[in-house]
Amino acid sequence: MRRIVVGKVSEIPAGGRKIIVPFRGRAGIGIFNVKGKFYALRNICPHKRGPLCTGEVAGRSATTAPPSITDGFVGYERDGEIIRCPWHAWQFDIATGQCLVDPAVRVKTYPIIVDGDELIVDIEVSDFISEG
Amino acid sequence: MQAPDKLDQIHIGKKGAAPIAAPGWTGAPADRVKLVDCDVHQNFREPEELLPYLPRFYKEHLLDQGLHLPDPGYANMPYRRYRSDLKDPELKAREFNYSLEFTQKELLDRWNIDFALLTGPPPLYACAGLPDPDWAAALCAAFNDWTIERWLDKDPRLVNSILVAPNDPVLAVKEIHRLAPRKDTVAVLMPMLTPQLYGKRVYHPIWEACAEHDLPVVSHIVGDSPGSTPTPAGFPSYYTEYRMIRPSLASAQAASLIAEGVFELFPNLKFAFIEAQQMWAAPLMWHMDADWKALGDQTPWLKRPPSEYFREHIRVGTQPMHEPPQTEQVYQMLEMLHADETLVFCTDFPHWDWNDPVTVLPRLDEHTHRRIFAENALDLLRISDDMIEAVVA
Repeated sequence: MRRIVVGKVSEIPAGGRKIIVPFRGRAGIGIFNVKGKFYALRNICPHKRGPLCTGEVAGRSATTAPPSITDGFVGYERDGEIIRCPWHAWQFDIATGQCLVDPAVRVKTYPIIVDGDELIVDIEVSDFISEG
Repeated sequence: MQAPDKLDQIHIGKKGAAPIAAPGWTGAPADRVKLVDCDVHQNFREPEELLPYLPRFYKEHLLDQGLHLPDPGYANMPYRRYRSDLKDPELKAREFNYSLEFTQKELLDRWNIDFALLTGPPPLYACAGLPDPDWAAALCAAFNDWTIERWLDKDPRLVNSILVAPNDPVLAVKEIHRLAPRKDTVAVLMPMLTPQLYGKRVYHPIWEACAEHDLPVVSHIVGDSPGSTPTPAGFPSYYTEYRMIRPSLASAQAASLIAEGVFELFPNLKFAFIEAQQMWAAPLMWHMDADWKALGDQTPWLKRPPSEYFREHIRVGTQPMHEPPQTEQVYQMLEMLHADETLVFCTDFPHWDWNDPVTVLPRLDEHTHRRIFAENALDLLRISDDMIEAVVA
């Protein structure tokens, strides 16, 4: 294991992100502050290799039934917890890397350690090897 | 705890990661045309950019009323329309950096594209629904001239499909004759949703002009008009339904062109349907051939099975490409489609649902790859040998 300082707590406010390239190949990783907790995702979408971490962070629409004669209300949930890939708009849970539109798909996550003001990622040495 | 490495030992992207260039995709000089993209959207920031290209009367028109193009109200087009990784954070939500330099950097250079067919902004396809034929023609001509000055004259990799409004064929023919002499005019762009199907004889003068200049017709979804609902049963509620209509619209236009004998009358006319999916064409060919055996008496001017007209004259774009759970099924469908004759590669840059050239169809054999990504388009578009030399030399 190897520990890398990737940023400072004070430079990524809640709702913010920082993208670090290169890091595990040319694509890099994205560090996200979701409501005070920090997460890191690989910046390659498992769908079509788009730059996932540059996508919009938002929530998703939510309803329990199709719009009917008596109720057409559509809600919104998990605002700030979901990232949408800029290519083709697949949604991912930032905290777990789980793709929300295909249960078989997940993006690689990296655990983040907060040490004082420092954000540290624990990685395998192999993560540094460029994909060429 | 191991001492952490310092932040400055790795390079930090100040503005975030760039889109990922594909593995193996290099900037090495090409020895032949390897990649032709048949759907690249150029646009203006604001309609006022067209003012210098409009006659005085229509300058007033634009200043008074804007473009006043009919709009179907599908405002639920998702994610502000464009790839968000390419968006300049300084711009407003629905704006985009539509500059030549940006398209060169993010599309042509990054993906090694040899030729990019410009297909304009889809909202302009609604010229098909403008009630005033002279305004529709003036708008198309102004946009074509804007494209020439701002884009075509500045990069030999850019080739153009000139926009014409289909509703007044006489005016459309005039515009085709005006711009056909330009080398970079390699196709004629027409909307797919029209008040009348393209097999109707009212369009014959347009097809005659295209055939005369050896220009194919590129028909892109959509082109809304007050007289045409996108389905015979009216307007769908949601954008996702609207997208599913495209194959039926393209099928109807293709069947009309074949059945009315357009390709018997104009044997060198070619027609491409862009961004309407593509696999619909295989069952259409089978169904038309089967029916032709029973119903051929109703269209005795057809000398060959309908599928032969399709394979010789009609092309379909790759985008959006199907992604079935069993990937190999796509390749089975490509065979049914005769994709090595009929399919042309399209990115749809810079829209959110674009396809990159590397992941879209990664398992093609070399012959089919060459046909889909370059040769079918070179056969379709009026691209001359000296234009090819200018980009691969």
